Formats: sequence, C-alpha cells, structure tokens
Amino acid sequence: MKININNKPTDTTATTLGELAQQMALPEKGVAMALGTKMVQRAQWAETALNEGDSVIIIKAACGG
Amino acid sequence: MLQFISHYTERYSYLDSIRMALDGGCRWVQLRMKDAADDEVRRVAEEAQRWCRDAGATFIVDDRVELVRQIGADGVHLGKNDMPVSEARALLGDGFIIGGTANTFDDIRSHYEAGANYIGCGPFRFTTTKKGLAPVLGLEGYTYLIKRAREEGINLPIVAIGGITADDIPAIMSTGVSGVALSGTVLRAENPVEEMKKLIKITEK
Repeated sequence: MKININNKPTDTTATTLGELAQQMALPEKGVAMALGTKMVQRAQWAETALNEGDSVIIIKAACGG
Repeated sequence: MLQFISHYTERYSYLDSIRMALDGGCRWVQLRMKDAADDEVRRVAEEAQRWCRDAGATFIVDDRVELVRQIGADGVHLGKNDMPVSEARALLGDGFIIGGTANTFDDIRSHYEAGANYIGCGPFRFTTTKKGLAPVLGLEGYTYLIKRAREEGINLPIVAIGGITADDIPAIMSTGVSGVALSGTVLRAENPVEEMKKLIKITEK
C-alpha cells in the first residue's frame, strides 16, 4: 500500500508501525514516530495499524531509510 | 507531534517542567539550559534522560554536543548561534538525532545539506522565552517554507516554534508542519500537567 513518510510517497507491505520500523531497519534508540499528527511511542508501534494513504513522520538519526 | 522545550519559572525548575510535560503525556523533550554551568546541565540532563527513557520519550539536549555524546541522549538541537550541524554530525556520527533552528528557507536547505534530521522553524510570533530572535514567520511564513521545501525535495520534518499557544495550534498544523514545539505556554498554565494533556489533544486532532 501507499503511505507518506515525511511527505514522501512510499510503497510498503508493512501493516503496522512496528513492521515499518523493522523493514526500514530503524535503530533501537533515537527514533520518534508519529502517525498523522499523533506521536506514538515505541512500545505501541507493534499494535499501531497502518492504512492506505496514512501519513507517517519519522525523526531519526542519519543512517538508513 | 508535540515537542516540549524545558524552561524554568519562579514556580518551577527545569526538572519540574520536564516531569510535568511527561506526566501530561508529552513524548519529546528538549532540555534547554542556555546560561547554566556545564556540571549543572549534566546533572539535570542525566535525571531528565532517565525519566524520558522510563516514559518512552525522545530526549534531546539543546546546544551541548559533547554532553549528548557522553550521556548517550537521543540527540542534540542546535540554535543559530550554536555549533554548525555539519560539525556536530562529524563529532556525533550517524547514531544521534540532530535538529537545527531555521528562520528562512536558506537555513532549512543548509541544515538539510549538513545532515540535520529535523528543523525547528520559527519564531511563529514574538516570544519572551528566547532572546535576540529573528523576524516572526506567522502562518504565511510556514505555508511558504513548507511549500518551498517540498518543491525542492527536502522531506525533513519541520516543527514550528516560538510563542505558540493553544489557540494557534490548529492553524499552524494546517500549514503542513509536522508538529509544534512549546515551552512557555505550558508553564504559564494554572495546571501544567492538564495543560499538556489539552495541548497534545489539540495538536493530534
């Protein structure tokens, strides 16, 4: 499905923020994610569902993605 | 996304302000102690970092690159008169978030090119929290800067800052910014914890 990551259209097979983090190989620390405007803490990534057209904001250190 | 920037008042210390922000549900804290001595900043930073870890919040320290490296904070925020982003990136490597303050599109572009991970963009309006600020941006300023950044392929999250109050947040969020950074408006409230809850609700609406 298509989502926007930091305003950039992106194709993903991830169905949750947790899967997205895994697919993007996001590091264990130093990552903040928001779904739409809602900040989601790491402990809730796995249970936060992604839907077509969702907008995700990821603030993270320089490496990857 | 709501970022809290620590501050102190006659009623509250830096740590009080951070404790209240976390208790109110904030999950991004920036410790900003511009004029404090290094050892005091370290003491406060270590405590604040423990609290942020426990709460699952991102912990950023303003200006103090070396301290961030030593204590393993999540990242550093660099103001206009602080170390350049490129220099901080060289010192910290790729494992830390670096944010930079921007007042103009040229600032945004140069932070982007230097390897910043997010932009604190402002001031939205005149504020007494910070001294010696650049001209205010207002809503038009954010609309323009966001559009310009997208046109130039700069996808960094841009967070609005500077004198923002609850009433401003819906209009600011609708300009396309990724979030807002708040400080004074939280601590001026009668009950800062409840105020933070309210502000988060408004921001995430």
